Amino acid sequence: MLSQRLIGRAAVRSAFKPSGLPVVVAPRFTRTYATESGLFANIKSWFSPSKKDSGRLTVDVPVEEKDLVIIGGGVAGYVAAIKAGQEGLKVACIEKRGTLGGTCLNVGCIPSKSLLNNSHLYHQILHDSKHRGIEVGDVKLNLAQLMKAKDQSVNGLTKGVEFLLKKNGVEYIKGTGSFADEHTVNVKLNDGGETSVKGKNILIATGSEVTPFPGLEIDEKRVISSTGAIALEKVPEKMLVIGGGIIGLEMASVWSRLGAQVTVIEFLDQIGGPGMDLEVAKSIQKILKKQGINFKTGTKVVSGDKTGETVKLEVDSAKGGKPETLEGDVVLVAIGRRPYTEGLGLENIGLEKDERGRVIIDSEYRTKIPHIRCVGDVTFGPMLAHKAEEEAVAAIEYIKKGYGHVNYGCIPSVMYTFPEVAWVGQSEQELKKAGIPYRVGTFPFSANSRAKTNLDTDGMVKMIADPETDRLLGVHIIGPNAGEMIAEGTLALEYGASSEDIARTCHAHPTLAEAFKEAAMATYSKAIHF
Amino acid sequence: MASLTAACRISARMASRSVRGFRTSAAALAAQNFTMPALSPTMTEGNIATWRVKEGDKFSAGDVLLEIETDKATMDVEAQDDGIMVKIMQADGAKGVAVGTRIAVIAEEGDDISSLEIPADAAPQSKPAESAPSAPPPPTTADQSNVAVPESAPQKSSEKSVPKPPSRQYPHYPSVAHLLKVNGVDANAVKDITPTGPGGRLLKGDVLAYLGKIKAQTPSTVSERFEKLSHLDLSNIKVAKSTEAIKATTEKAQSKKLDAAPAPPPVAVITAPISLSAVLEVQKKVHQTIGVFLPLSTFISRATEIANQKLPLPANYQPTADELFDQVLGLDKVPARKSSRGSYTPTFGSFVAPQRAARKADIIDILAAPSKRAATQSKPATPGLTTAGPNVFSLQVPKAEEKRAQAFLSKMKLVLEQEADKLVRA
Repeated sequence: MLSQRLIGRAAVRSAFKPSGLPVVVAPRFTRTYATESGLFANIKSWFSPSKKDSGRLTVDVPVEEKDLVIIGGGVAGYVAAIKAGQEGLKVACIEKRGTLGGTCLNVGCIPSKSLLNNSHLYHQILHDSKHRGIEVGDVKLNLAQLMKAKDQSVNGLTKGVEFLLKKNGVEYIKGTGSFADEHTVNVKLNDGGETSVKGKNILIATGSEVTPFPGLEIDEKRVISSTGAIALEKVPEKMLVIGGGIIGLEMASVWSRLGAQVTVIEFLDQIGGPGMDLEVAKSIQKILKKQGINFKTGTKVVSGDKTGETVKLEVDSAKGGKPETLEGDVVLVAIGRRPYTEGLGLENIGLEKDERGRVIIDSEYRTKIPHIRCVGDVTFGPMLAHKAEEEAVAAIEYIKKGYGHVNYGCIPSVMYTFPEVAWVGQSEQELKKAGIPYRVGTFPFSANSRAKTNLDTDGMVKMIADPETDRLLGVHIIGPNAGEMIAEGTLALEYGASSEDIARTCHAHPTLAEAFKEAAMATYSKAIHF
Repeated sequence: MASLTAACRISARMASRSVRGFRTSAAALAAQNFTMPALSPTMTEGNIATWRVKEGDKFSAGDVLLEIETDKATMDVEAQDDGIMVKIMQADGAKGVAVGTRIAVIAEEGDDISSLEIPADAAPQSKPAESAPSAPPPPTTADQSNVAVPESAPQKSSEKSVPKPPSRQYPHYPSVAHLLKVNGVDANAVKDITPTGPGGRLLKGDVLAYLGKIKAQTPSTVSERFEKLSHLDLSNIKVAKSTEAIKATTEKAQSKKLDAAPAPPPVAVITAPISLSAVLEVQKKVHQTIGVFLPLSTFISRATEIANQKLPLPANYQPTADELFDQVLGLDKVPARKSSRGSYTPTFGSFVAPQRAARKADIIDILAAPSKRAATQSKPATPGLTTAGPNVFSLQVPKAEEKRAQAFLSKMKLVLEQEADKLVRA
């Protein structure tokens, strides 16, 4: 007691006083409810009869005019909706799927990552635990539970998005939207019935769909797209994957880890799609092959036949060679995605698409009707969720503030195989093709202490910089956690950093990120540990 | 809505520096100043909505003491420890109370508040100190060493009386700082270096160019490339034909086709004499050795299969639907294919080999140009096959495919005449 008394009050207090600020700010009455703001200003339009439908409908449906109507509740759509709500716009978001988040959240990025993570755990316990000193008994796969875990993640996130829309005062309309005129979108509601919304601005964010393989109808049971690939009811014995891009390889990884015999058929000579650095692509192909995935690169699928018990694919070497017939219980079609504008009624307002079906926009995401903008997969640029997200924010900023920006030169790509592959900026073959001089520095994870302790030493960091100015041109990583590490490369690229800047920045030891630093050192001078 | 916000409400714990002194050990006979807490990093002042405790009330940790309104939200402030409210200095509804201002005096539980001394307001208006960082830093000549923006360069200390826009300042990149030091670049000289980085940042290349170590224009060339890459390439948009236009063209094409139907497309008939004696010999041998009689048709169909491989592309070759799809997907950097598999069936009298009959027209064929591979069978040149002399194998093909068909027939000849024994093994 006595000794305690002798201690100053402040000293005792500081022992259990949380530092600084209160834990969380609890907003009670935020001012950003868009539904409240401007409600009265627009109340007139509630009672004005809708001009368009008056001929058809006997009762005047009140058509509310919003500041912004967003068609599509995917990543581009919902992010735009939230951002617009925060900016004080009165927003309606139309989504036909019944859940928000679009392809990414429901059948794309998110569920596949759940499967990738858990299948990797399973595979690791099965094959990669004994030499680490962990002996496990009977390891069994419960596919149903694996799928349940996936659904849980997806549900949590889609609910979260719905809450965020509500929080930001966005009206969420469940139905299929199509243009009636330049300001009106008719919505066929999922629950039956029709309505229409008017918008001062309209944002098209309808996304993309799987490109079907001609002559091989997708039934999502035996001939599947990425959608079916995350929901198979049993592990197929033999699986064929048409297309060795990111989606194809991720799904090939999942099912190969769970026990399927997987063959990936790729038309190009390299896997990973055209954006991946050639050296990295070669390297990951070797690693994945070691994991048990078969590759047929430079191979073209001529036709498919699913009438038999197994699905048969006629393949032929792209360079001419021996034709072959491959058989599989399941065939995954992963040859890419295409813009989705079906039923949108673009023709009703005279909006044009380019020859690949993308909605034509200008640099401010405007279509030729200036108050109708378009972002995400349905228009130009790489089909990536984070690109769509950036564009959505930029488009809202254009509407609200007159200026927005997306740096298309700094959009990272990640493939979540094991090890992961990630890159940002330009690849070596791109630079070579454009005749741009460059300097390369690499550092293998086998020389990285953390990777060594993890016993995951596959992969490397490859940096490409301008030979004169040393400005970073591209970063390509293959290795554990590459997807997280690429953030550093993206930041460096965004800030116009040189490889020396990265090399002179302290990186914690022992971390995988040290390999990143060492690769930078190797680029402008020499790596220390290699 | 209210329930929703209530659900997500997480109480703000009172954490103002002035709340020290709550402890349960013993009464310390001292009251504490309770100051306006900063409830968010950006909060500078707030309004007191209501006090939930009255003077003299006891409270325990977690009790809501008061509600504070800010420009963003209304928040509860909870007590972090047990105590007594001695005096409320700023009553309900007080507006614009700066963070750090005393709003109440509290004491520890057990203190006799009547005998307590109310301490002096320990937080004097510390506003100037707080607002200092946000104020523009006074432009001094020394500071200009960090100035990397050329626009702000013309700053003279003699003009101090004129309000100047605050110069943009940020730390140099590590490489830049290093280069400047190593090469002894004068702080004042830095502003002469042209920055080419994003947002006017000074990059390593800029310093190198300034020092003459690299070509002077390289940094700007690199920057221009980055500038180009940072935008979507919208330069080469090819507008898709509208569906009506497509309909119109296809109709036109169809009507043209109908008009042109009587005139047959230019065809070429290619023939080659091929002797089957080698085949017959092999056939005989097989029959004698393993007692299996292989019909001639088997030999010919197998030979056809082989001959159809790797044929040169027809002159009017058009990409298949697959190749078009690859283009759609941006995979068109693929080297163009030089050969493809044919689907010819040679004719030789009444004998028709059942080769590749299984290959039905699939969607690729439908989508692809109709004239592409369709090899039409010609009338037999000689009725039936002769086993003795050379047979005439013939093909009737569109003119454009002449070379392709020739290659096919010469391969056929090679296989049947010289490699007939391989057909059995194949």
